[in-house]
Amino acid sequence: MLQGLTTRKIEFVVVGGVAAAAHGSSRVTNDLDICYDAIDAANIRSLASLLATWEAYPRRVEEGLPFIMDDRTLRGAPILTLTTTEGDLDVMDQIAGVGPYSSVRKHSEKISGLGVSFRVLDLPSLIKAKRAAGRPRDFDHLPELEALLELKRRQ
Amino acid sequence: MAVAAGADLKWLTNSSALLGRPIRNNRQGARWWGLVRLLVDDLGLSLKSAAAAASTALLELGSGAVVRAAGDPTGSATVVVDLPRYRSIFLGNLSRALVHETPRRRGRRAASRVGSIAAARRYGVDIDLVRAALARSPAERLALLEENAAFLRSMRKRPR
Repeated sequence: MLQGLTTRKIEFVVVGGVAAAAHGSSRVTNDLDICYDAIDAANIRSLASLLATWEAYPRRVEEGLPFIMDDRTLRGAPILTLTTTEGDLDVMDQIAGVGPYSSVRKHSEKISGLGVSFRVLDLPSLIKAKRAAGRPRDFDHLPELEALLELKRRQ
Repeated sequence: MAVAAGADLKWLTNSSALLGRPIRNNRQGARWWGLVRLLVDDLGLSLKSAAAAASTALLELGSGAVVRAAGDPTGSATVVVDLPRYRSIFLGNLSRALVHETPRRRGRRAASRVGSIAAARRYGVDIDLVRAALARSPAERLALLEENAAFLRSMRKRPR
């Protein structure tokens, strides 16, 4: 998925479990969460077009219902939780506790991995996002992320 | 319910009181309130007109067509709803509500009186594992994540 996103030159920042893993979390995640630039119309079009190629469909909704995956749908529902031919993907135009894409990008760092270079949300912002999300599974992740931050600061 | 309808909870509660229409926590209710919200916020219809237009439009939901939901008596101005488009946006919001909107923990987390590392250890986090992860590069950590995720996927696929 990361390869596809970068090849299409989509402006995005990886957030969530993959970002946590990049910072050193041992939790295993199977889905990718990204925050994308929703101000740039061309970026929305590119992302929507890629999602359509991947046959994106809303997760946990019964299969087979008519679903149009294009830029107009993405503008109408800017936060989507999708299943695709490449795996599960959550796309968001903003992150609770951090803000819109411009703030998310400001609090991100560029890394290389899995054969591509991309931006991930930095660890302090990831912790803020988990706190703001406030779900039990986010809270369960906080002790490990806070320990990671402390150990990184000591390095 | 509010997330599935793409609406703010306060707006939903106030609109329900103004229309004298109870909020039913089901898919049909969310779909109806979502269209009302869209007509009020994006097109500037009054709440009463939007409610009537949404009811008219959603009667045709199965037809998969663009429907005329409201208009002036002369037909000079009409409100048209693209049902396939609205249904796609609604499914996106419904999915988000089902996947993300699990009950939240109320209140703040208790502040830890010990440091983050001791608190994590008490919570059951293996600090040696965390230290080992930090010794790796981000690329190595992501490669390990990919390996572990692939292993889990293969375990899930394995016939019982």
